Parts: sequence; structure tokens; C-alpha cells
Amino acid sequence: MDWVENFKSEFFRCFIREDRYMLLVKGLGVTVKISFFALLLGILIGFLIALCSLSKKKPLRAIGKVYTDIIRGTPSVTQLMIIYFVVFASVHWSKWIICAIAFGINSGGYVSEIFRAGILSIDKGQTEAGRSLGLTSAQTMVKIILPQALKNIFPTLCNEFIVLIKETAIVGYVGLMDIQKAGDFIKSATFIAFMPLIATAVIYYVLIKLLTLILGKVEKSMRKSDLR
Amino acid sequence: MIEVKNLQKRFGDNHVLKGVSEHISKGEVVAVIGPSGSGKSTFLRCLNRLEEATEGEIYVDGELINGPKANINRIRQKMGMVFQHFNLFPHLTVKANITLAPVTLKIMSKKEAEEKALYLLERVGLSDKANVYPASLSGGQKQRVAIARALAMNPEIMLFDEPTSALDPEMVGEVLDVIKDLAQSGMTMVIVTHEMGFAREVANRVLFMDNGVIMERGTPQEVFGNPQNERTRLFLSKVL
Repeated sequence: MDWVENFKSEFFRCFIREDRYMLLVKGLGVTVKISFFALLLGILIGFLIALCSLSKKKPLRAIGKVYTDIIRGTPSVTQLMIIYFVVFASVHWSKWIICAIAFGINSGGYVSEIFRAGILSIDKGQTEAGRSLGLTSAQTMVKIILPQALKNIFPTLCNEFIVLIKETAIVGYVGLMDIQKAGDFIKSATFIAFMPLIATAVIYYVLIKLLTLILGKVEKSMRKSDLR
Repeated sequence: MIEVKNLQKRFGDNHVLKGVSEHISKGEVVAVIGPSGSGKSTFLRCLNRLEEATEGEIYVDGELINGPKANINRIRQKMGMVFQHFNLFPHLTVKANITLAPVTLKIMSKKEAEEKALYLLERVGLSDKANVYPASLSGGQKQRVAIARALAMNPEIMLFDEPTSALDPEMVGEVLDVIKDLAQSGMTMVIVTHEMGFAREVANRVLFMDNGVIMERGTPQEVFGNPQNERTRLFLSKVL
């Protein structure tokens, strides 16, 4: 029963000694915090950029195009480092806030395309019906187009949230201790690779599984108006 | 009530309306007939500016509605429109479809709008459908809800864009009955239609459009009984 003893001792060294499990717990907090605020910011930016891309005004369309072009054309780790070390170099905010902003900006580029596709998927007749009743274009967007578009894009949007959470695993590059960095730290401190890295993977997996379950419930309640 | 002067519409190189002038008085029921592609739907859609006229002037109650100062949203509130493909809002119940505009535009309180919706649903014979979603309705029922939705704004004018063209034959009657009922109540209406029997029976006046202009106009007896224009005769001989 050598390997059981070995397992026990490695587990003890990785997670119990010096309260190392707390690194992972705190890392989880950082990941959740960054992901959550980046998500909100991403939705906001994504929606605004989508409206720009769909606008009748050429300069606005150009803004939308350039934004998504730059975000999609450069690696997110490069964007993160530019925002952290260049744009916010002289700003003394908490690291996690700057990271959340960086990921929000990044996610916004992808979310905007999802919104754009969603809005375009709604039949033109819906807009015409709304406008013919005397609603303004903003009222038509909020009351008629968006609720339908959101329902259509919800699964794709969930996908983007999941990608976003996993993408935050690069915040170690700017010295922030998230789940990934915590696992890595334990690996360096203990010279044990298997335990901390598998623990890291399990934590991400459980986090995303929970999110998927919740979002699945939300989607189901959104579908009550169709009889499919 | 509606005055159209030299209305022209171009889609790129396609000259769809080539100068349409027409006067529609209060309480009149005007049927617009003609072959596909003749511009009759475009003409109707220009009246509430779902299409922007390339040239010409449109006055509603003496007010120029396609000028730079026109408040089109306010004008549209008094011009209800019914579409060929119903365009009900699928994410809302029948009742919410009807109350959306008057409540959003603060013309009625939620309670008033709901009472009005129930009254209108009764009028179109769908009282029992208030709380279902459009997906569970038949085509004819959808179109009757669409009419109720337009009426909820208390419009002075109703525009119908081929209201029965997308319906199964057995459902055409129920929709035409509702429109007929509305015509008898004195509503000003412009109806683009392929239902010649209906146009003859309900309209005070018939416009025959072809190739972007009004070729012939007159009472149903004149246009259907004794068409003057060669094109009108040809068209009617094909459809009657």
C-alpha cells in the first residue's frame, strides 16, 4: 500500500501544509471576480459595438469594424499586457479591476459579433410592425428586437462566457494569483506537478459545470413562448 | 385626409413609383388592385413612411409627413398598418401584443390598455386567445390579432398590405369579415388586395395600378363593370 501512503503525503504537502489550499480558494475568488465583471463589461461593450456595426452612419460602422478587427486579430494575452503595462501603467487600481477591464474589452469584441448576428436574425417585419405602431427605433429595439434576439443568441453567449472564464487563466502574466497561478505556485513550492495541476483543472471544471447548469435553467425559462 | 402629390420611389435603378397623385377623403375605403410589381405595396408603405419617397409630397390631415420637420412617430400612431405576414411579436402573448404600443407610448395605463385589448379581441372574435402566444394561432387568427393590435392605438386611418395573401383559402373569409366590419364603422382605409370580390363589395373607390402609376380609378362599378383602360381590362380578364 505504498502508493496510498505516497498519495496521502503528497496531498498533505500540496494542500494542507502551510494552508496551501487557501491559495486555491483565494484564486477561485479572483477568477470569479474578474470573470463576472469582465462578463458585464463585455456585454455592455459588445452591445454598443454591435449597434455601431449595424448603424446607418458610416463613421459608427467603421468604429465597430475596427474594434472587432483589432480584438480578434491580436492574442488576448498581448491585449492584457498592453492594457496592464501600457494603458493603465500609471493608474494605481487593484490588479483584478484592471484585468477585468482588459477581459471586458476583449470579450466585447466577440460578444458584439454575437449580438450583431442575433439582431440580424430577427425578421425585418418585426421592426416594421413596431415602427408602424408609432414606436421609436430605440423602443422597437428594446421591446421587440432584443428580447427575441437574446433568446436566439443565448446558447452562443453562454459559450462565450465559458471561454471568457478559461481565458482569465492568463492573468498570472501580470502577477495576479488566480486558480491557475495558485496551482502553478503550489507546483513550484512542492516540486509536485500532478496534484496541484489536476486540482486546478477540477476547480475550473466544477465552476463551469455549475455555470452551465444555471444557464441551462435560464434558457429553458426563456423558451416558454415557443411550442417547439 | 390623405393627399399624395407626384409620389416617386426608386430602388437604385428600379423606378417603382413614377408619379402617383391621389386624394383619399375621411371615411373612404379605397382598394388598390393591380399585378405584382405594379408598385401598389410600395405606394401603401410610403403612406406611413416604411418606405421613404424619393420625390413627391404626402399630406395627412394637411400636415406634410415626409418633410424634415415631420414627427413620423406621432403620425404613425394614427395610421394603423396590417401586414401580409402578420408580423405579430412571437415573444409576447396575444394580449401583450395588443397592449405593447399604447402602454409604451404612455397613451393608456396598463389597465386601460388591457381592457381595450379584451374589447378588441371580442370584436375580432378571439376573446379566448388573450393569454396564448402567437405560435399557437392559425393564420387567420394571427391576422385578426394583428388588426386588433393596430386598432388599439385608436388610429384614424388603417392601411392593409395584402392582408389575406398569406392565408390558407378557408381562413380568408374570417379576416375579410373583420375588415368589412371595420369599413362599415366609418374607418378610413386603404387596402392593397388581390381579392377582387372583396374590393368590389367593400370599397368606395378602386385604384388600378400598373407599372408604377395609377392607370384607372373609380367606383367599383366603374372599374370592374366598365373598365376604360386597356391594361385594366386585360388584368381583370385574367383575375376575374
